[in-house]
Amino acid sequence: MIEAKDLVKRYGPHTAVDHATFKIERGEIVGFLGPNGAGKTTTMNMLTGYLSSTEGTVTVDGMNILEHPLEVKRRIGYLPENPPLYPEMTVREYLQFAGEIKKVPKQELSKRIDEVMWKVGITDVMGRLVKNLSKGYKQRVGLAQAMIGKPDILILDEPTAGLDPKQILEIRQLIKELGKTHTVILSSHILPEVSAVCKRILIINQGKIVADDTPENLAKRLLGGSHLLLRIDGTPQQVEATLQKVPDVKKLSFKESQERGTVEVVVESDKDKDIRRDISKALGSAGLPILMMRSLDMTLEEIFLHLTTKEEEVAKV
Amino acid sequence: MMAILKRELKSYFLTPMGYIYMGFFLLVAGVFFTFGNLITRSSQYTGFLGGILFIYLFAVPLLTMRLFSEEKRQRTDQLLLTSPISIPEVVLGKFLAAFTVYLITLAITVMYAIVVGVYGDLSFWETLGAYIGFIFLGASYISVGVFVSAGTENQLTSALVSFFSLLMIWLIDPISNSLPVDLVAGIIFASLLVIALCAYIYINTKNFYITVAVFLLGAIVITAAYFIDKVVFIGFMRKFFSWFSLNKRYENFSMGLLKVDSLVYYLTFTGLFLFLTVRLMEKQRWV
Repeated sequence: MIEAKDLVKRYGPHTAVDHATFKIERGEIVGFLGPNGAGKTTTMNMLTGYLSSTEGTVTVDGMNILEHPLEVKRRIGYLPENPPLYPEMTVREYLQFAGEIKKVPKQELSKRIDEVMWKVGITDVMGRLVKNLSKGYKQRVGLAQAMIGKPDILILDEPTAGLDPKQILEIRQLIKELGKTHTVILSSHILPEVSAVCKRILIINQGKIVADDTPENLAKRLLGGSHLLLRIDGTPQQVEATLQKVPDVKKLSFKESQERGTVEVVVESDKDKDIRRDISKALGSAGLPILMMRSLDMTLEEIFLHLTTKEEEVAKV
Repeated sequence: MMAILKRELKSYFLTPMGYIYMGFFLLVAGVFFTFGNLITRSSQYTGFLGGILFIYLFAVPLLTMRLFSEEKRQRTDQLLLTSPISIPEVVLGKFLAAFTVYLITLAITVMYAIVVGVYGDLSFWETLGAYIGFIFLGASYISVGVFVSAGTENQLTSALVSFFSLLMIWLIDPISNSLPVDLVAGIIFASLLVIALCAYIYINTKNFYITVAVFLLGAIVITAAYFIDKVVFIGFMRKFFSWFSLNKRYENFSMGLLKVDSLVYYLTFTGLFLFLTVRLMEKQRWV
C-alpha cells in the first residue's frame, strides 16, 4: 500500500535519512521508534509529500508521490508533530477549511465534520477558538483534520507528545480504534506507547532502519534464542548433568546465586522451542526442586537501547 | 483555490491585520484628501491619487507580510502542502485574498471622487484611468509582497523586505536616469548580466557544460548584436532597470491614457512574481 525505496534525505553534509526501505500493507499499525533526531519526522514528511527526498521513491498504491502528488495526498491524512492549526478560527471553521482543501464533496462536508468531531470527541468545543483550547484538544482537532478527507492511511507524528497520562490513554485508544479501518503509521520515542498500539515496529536510528519486526519477534531475534533463568536447589554438578540430558538445550551458563545452597543457571534453547516442561520433569525426577523459573526475553526497552546505543558506549557504562 | 481565498479573507478580519491595513490606508488617504482637496478647495483629484501611490509603499507590505510567513511559523504550511491541492492554487488563492482587501479599500476612496464630482470639477476620464491603473499597479505591488512573504518565516522581516523592495522599485526611475548610456557601458552591463546568469545556473545545477554553453551563447548574442546593430546597447542599462519601474507606466493612466502595453506589462510583472513564488515554495521542499 505504501512503499519507501532507498529513501535518502540530506541537509548539506548531514544525512537525516539514510536509505530507508520498507513496505507497509493495508490495515497495518506500524510504529516508527527512535531517539529524538533519528529521522522519524523527516521520513514522515517525505511519505506525506511535505518534503522531497534527495534520493529514492515513495509510492502509494503503486503511484509515485512526485508523479501523482494530488492522488497520493488524497489517500493520506497527516498529523504533524505540532498540529497545523489556525489559532484565529473556531474548531468548526477550521475543519470546514480542512475538508475543503482535502476535496470533500460540498454536500457531504457538514455531515463529515460532525462525524469526525464525534469520533475524536471534540463536539463540545466546536464553537471555541482554536487558540483557547488545551493541548489535548488541539491534538484531537489535528487528528480530526487528518481524518476528514477519509484517507486510507493515517500518518501521526508523536501523537501523544505533551499530553497528560489520561489524555495519552484516550488518544491511544482512539488510534487503536482507527487502526481497524485505516493503515496507521505513528512515531514515538516512547517504547510502551509503540508496543501498546502497534503490531509492527520499525526502529530508526541515525537515519537508518535498524530493525523491522513485531515487538515479540524483535525480542526473540535479539537474543538469538529463548533464554530461561532457573534457580535450583542443588549443586552445579548435579544440575549440569541433569540439564544436559534434556533435548534442545544448547548452552548452560551458571551464575552466582543469592540464596545459599542453590544454583542459578541460564538455559539457552532453540528459538521456537518451549522446553520449560521438559526441564521441569527432568529436574523433578532427579530430585532437584526448581525454586524459580523466568523467561529472559528482552523487554522492548532493552532492545531499543541495544539497537540504538553503540557497543563502546555500553562498555563505558 | 476558493477554500484558500475564503480562509485568507476571513483571516484578515479575524486577526487585526485587515483592520490595521484598512485603518492605516484610509486614515492617511483621508488626511491627504482633507488637506489636499477639502481645505484648499481644490478639484485636483489626480493629484490626490498620486499621493495615494505613496501610501501603498507602506501599506502593501502590511497586507502581504502575513500570507506565507505566518503559515510557516505556525507550521500550517504542512497542512497545505500535504493536502490534495497544488502550490499554484495556494499562491493564487492568497494573492487574490490580498488583492480583494486591496480593492475593497480602494473602492472606499471612490467616495472622495464623488465628493469632488458633486462640489467641484472632477475630470472623469483621468480619474477613471487612474483607478484602472491602481487596480493593475496594486496587483504588481502585492505580487512582490507575496513573493517576499514566501521567502521569510517572520512577519516583521517579511514586511521590511517588502517595503525595501517596493522602495527600490520606486527609486529605479531617479537612479536609472543617472546611469551611463554609452555603448561601452551597455556592453559591459550586458556581459555582467550573462555572467550573473551563468553563476546562477552553475550554483543551481552544478553542471559545468551547461554553464559554459550558456556563457558562449551569451557571448555570441552580444557580439552578434554589436555587429548587427550597435544602437541596442546605447542606454541598455537604463532600459533594463526601467523595466522594473512600476510607477512610470502608471503616469499614463492618470493622464487618462489607457495603454494596452502598460496593462500587459503589469499583468506580466504580476504573473512573473507569482510564478517565482510557486518556484520558491517548490524549491523549499528540496532543501
